[in-house]
Amino acid sequence: MNCEVCQLKELEVEHFEIREVLRCILHTIVFHRALGLVRPKDIDLELFEITYVQCGDVEVEKKIDDKIEQFISWVEKHPNKKSQICLSFYEVKNKQPSWFTNKIERLYWEQWYVNLNVIQLPKVHSSKSHHSKVVVDPGESTSEERSIRRATLEASLRDVLFQIIKFVNEKKDHVPPISENVMYFPYEITIPRSVPSAFASF
Amino acid sequence: MDLQSYPQPESGKLEQIVSQFLLKILHVILDSRVPSFHRHERSSDLSSVSRVKRSDRWFNLILGDRPAALDNLNFWQRNLMDPMIIDIILVHQGPSSLSTGNVCTTSAVGASTETVIERWAVQYESPRLMAPPTGETSSSYKKTYKKSIILLRSLYSHMRLLPAYRVFRQLSSSSQISNFDIIYKVSSFTDPFSRPEEETMKEYVFVPVEAFRGRLSVSVTYRPTLSCFNLELSTSLPPKIITDYVGSPSIDPMRSFPSSEKGDHATSFSLRGTRPPVSAPFQRPHSWTSGFHKAAPMTQNQPLSGSPPAYRTPPMPCDISSSPTDNYGYRVRPLFHQKATSYDEYQFSPPFSPYASPSPPTPMQTRLRSETAPVTIPLPVSSRSSRYFSPNFSDPNRHSLPPLSPRSTKHDPSSQESPSGNRSYRRAESLRTAELYSGAMNHYSGHKMIKDSKDDSGRFSGLLSSSGSPRVGFSRSSSRLSFQDELDDGDFSCPFDVDDVDASDSLSCLVYLSCTTADYVPVFSLLQCSMNYDVEAMTQNLDGKKASESLSMGTKSQDAAVGVLVHMLRTAPPLRQDPSCYSSHSMRTEVEEGVSTASGFFMPRKTVDALEELRSYREMKDLLLSKSGTRVISREEG
Repeated sequence: MNCEVCQLKELEVEHFEIREVLRCILHTIVFHRALGLVRPKDIDLELFEITYVQCGDVEVEKKIDDKIEQFISWVEKHPNKKSQICLSFYEVKNKQPSWFTNKIERLYWEQWYVNLNVIQLPKVHSSKSHHSKVVVDPGESTSEERSIRRATLEASLRDVLFQIIKFVNEKKDHVPPISENVMYFPYEITIPRSVPSAFASF
Repeated sequence: MDLQSYPQPESGKLEQIVSQFLLKILHVILDSRVPSFHRHERSSDLSSVSRVKRSDRWFNLILGDRPAALDNLNFWQRNLMDPMIIDIILVHQGPSSLSTGNVCTTSAVGASTETVIERWAVQYESPRLMAPPTGETSSSYKKTYKKSIILLRSLYSHMRLLPAYRVFRQLSSSSQISNFDIIYKVSSFTDPFSRPEEETMKEYVFVPVEAFRGRLSVSVTYRPTLSCFNLELSTSLPPKIITDYVGSPSIDPMRSFPSSEKGDHATSFSLRGTRPPVSAPFQRPHSWTSGFHKAAPMTQNQPLSGSPPAYRTPPMPCDISSSPTDNYGYRVRPLFHQKATSYDEYQFSPPFSPYASPSPPTPMQTRLRSETAPVTIPLPVSSRSSRYFSPNFSDPNRHSLPPLSPRSTKHDPSSQESPSGNRSYRRAESLRTAELYSGAMNHYSGHKMIKDSKDDSGRFSGLLSSSGSPRVGFSRSSSRLSFQDELDDGDFSCPFDVDDVDASDSLSCLVYLSCTTADYVPVFSLLQCSMNYDVEAMTQNLDGKKASESLSMGTKSQDAAVGVLVHMLRTAPPLRQDPSCYSSHSMRTEVEEGVSTASGFFMPRKTVDALEELRSYREMKDLLLSKSGTRVISREEG
C-alpha cells in the first residue's frame, strides 16, 4: 500500500491566528478520515467566516489541541520561520517478533503537510524592530491592510479546505478497510524542524 | 452500518447502498440548507451515539432524526437510476441590486422572487453496455460503501464552504428577522439553467464512487456569490414594557385590538419586514413523486410539466397589524419558520391540512375582541411532528372547559361571590405581565402543577394524559385539547405549528396565540383566564391580596364580556393547588432554572419586568379601588 502525501497550500498567519487555523485544518483532515460512526460537529471560526467540521471525539480534540499548544510554544522560540506540521495516518502492523526487534510497526498510508509561515507584524508606533527577519511590508500595520491580509488569509484557508476535500475525493483506494467500533484511523501529529530559510520570503 | 448483517445477494446489497446513499445525501443537503429542516433535526436527542437509530447509522454519519418519509425512497422515485436533482432556491424580495449582467433576477418592490442558488445532482449511473466485472467478490460492495462514506464526509464539509451556507446560517439565526428564505425542490429532471445564469454559476463535481455495474456521481452547480441579492437582516425588536397597551386600566379597556386589513386573517409578525399583507394564503403543491400528482401551479423559475411539482414552504402569513404587534416582534421568527416549513414536512410527517383561511369569529368572540393581547416571549418551536395549531373558532364547545375542581376554587372563593364580570375582566387586564411570568411558571412548574391537579378531578388528569406531555401546564393542555379537534379536522388555518407532545412547543403555541389578531383574541382570552389563576396565586403570595378582586370597572358594557370571562374562569381547570409554594423568589428561581434547562427559553430579565409591571398594575388597581369604591371586596383569603 503506497503512502499518499498531500502538501497543503502555505498560509501566512500571525501568531494569534495559529490556533484557529491549525484547529480548522487538522480537524477537517481527521473528520475525513474518521470513517467510523461519527456525529459531526460544526464549529465556527471566530476570526474568519468559515465553518469546519469536527468528528466530535473528545480524544481527538484533546490530542489536536495539545499538539497545537506544543507548536505554538515552538513558534515562540523560533519566530518568523516557515514551519510544517505533519499529520500522518498509519496502520499498526505487528511485526514478527525476532531477536532483533519486538516493536510494533507502523505503516503510514497517508501524510498531510500543513505549511505555515508565521509572521509577526510590527506594532503601529514601534520605531525599531529587533527582529531582523520581520516579514512585513511597510505600512502594513494600518488597520485597512490588516483587514486585507485577514481577508486574504481567509480565502487561502478556504482554498486549503477545498484542497483537502479534493484530495480526499481523488485518493480513496489507499484507505484501509474500516474497523468495527473504531471511529478513526490511528494518526499522529508531528512538528518537524523548520523549513530551511532558503525559501523564506523577504 | 454493518452490511454483513444483511443476508442479501450482492445486487440487493448494492441497491440498498445506492438507495440509502440517495436518502442520506438528501438528508445532508436539506439539513445544511433549509433552516426549518435543520431546526427539526436539532430537536432530536443529540446526546449519545449509542442511541442512534439504525437508519441514521448509514454511512457512519449521524445527522439526527429525519422525517419518516426519508426512510425510504418511495416518495421519490421508483427507479434508482433516475437522477435526483435538488434545487436550493433563494426566495427574496424587494429590488435587488443588480447589474445589466443579469447576475441576479430582478424583482419589483414587494414582489417575491425565487432564484436557484444551488443545484445538486445525484445519480447512480449504470451504463448498460458495461459488462459485469468478473472476479468481483463480496468486498466490492464494501469498498463501494467505504468510498461512499468518504464522499459523504467530503460533501458534508463542502456544503459548509459554499456561499449558500452563510445564507442558511443567517436564516437559522433565531435572533434576526430576514427578508429572504430558502426553500428546496427535488425532482428527477429539471429545466437547465438559462445561458446567462449558467455563465454565472460554477460547478463542482465530486469524484464518482465506483459501484458494482455503475457509479454514484454527485455534482453541484452553484452561484459563487450571493452578494447581489438584497438580503437583509434586521435584529428583532428588544422586548419592552408597553405601558399603554390595549386593555390597560389607564386606557379605555374596551378599546379594540387593532385588526389587520383582512379581518379574517391572522395577524402575524412579519418575518420579512417589507412584505405587505397578502390576501390569501399561498396554496402550495405538496407532492414529490413524479407522475402521480398533477403539476401544481408554480411560480416562475420552476420547471413545469415532466417534473414533480415544487415542494416548498409556504410564505409567511404576512399581515402586519399596527403598532401593538410590532412590540411583539421579537423572536417570532423561529416559530414562523417552523410553521412555514410544516408544508414541506408534509411528506415526512402525518399530513395536515393545507393552509387555509381561518373562519370568521363567532359573535361572542367578537365581543371579546377587546381583550388584550398579552406580551409574550416567543419560544423556539422544535417540532418533530408539526401540525397546524389552529384556534377553535367555530366550535361552540370550545370554551366549555371542565369545571373547576373544588380545590382550585378553594383559593378563590370570591369568584362565586364577587361580581363576576369585574373580577374576570380584571384578571384579563392584569394578565399581560402575568403571562410573561406565569407562562414561564406554567412551563417549569407544570409538572408540579399537574401532580397537584391530578387529585382534583379525574377529568383533569385524563385531559393531561391525553396531551401526552407531563410538563405541559394545565392551561396549555386544556386549551390545546380544544385545539386537538382542529388539528384533526384541519379546517382552520393557523400561522403556527405546534407540536402537541413537546412541552416547549406548548408554551410557544400559547404564547403565539396571544399575539395574533383579534380573531384569536377569544382564544387567548380563554388562556388568559386560565392563566389568571397563576396570577392570583402569585399575587396572593406577593402581598396577600387578590389582585383581581379589587379592581372595579363598573361599566355596563363590560359586564357582559366579563361575565363570559367569569364563566370561563369558573369552568377553567385549576392550575395550581398550592399557593404556598409560590413566592417571588421561588418563581424567579424556577424561571431561571427553566432558562438553564430549557435552552434559554426565557430571559430572566423579562420575568423581572413582568413582576414590575404586575406591581404597577397592582398600584393602578389600588388607585381605581380607592376611586370607585363601589364593590365590596373580600380580602385576605387563607
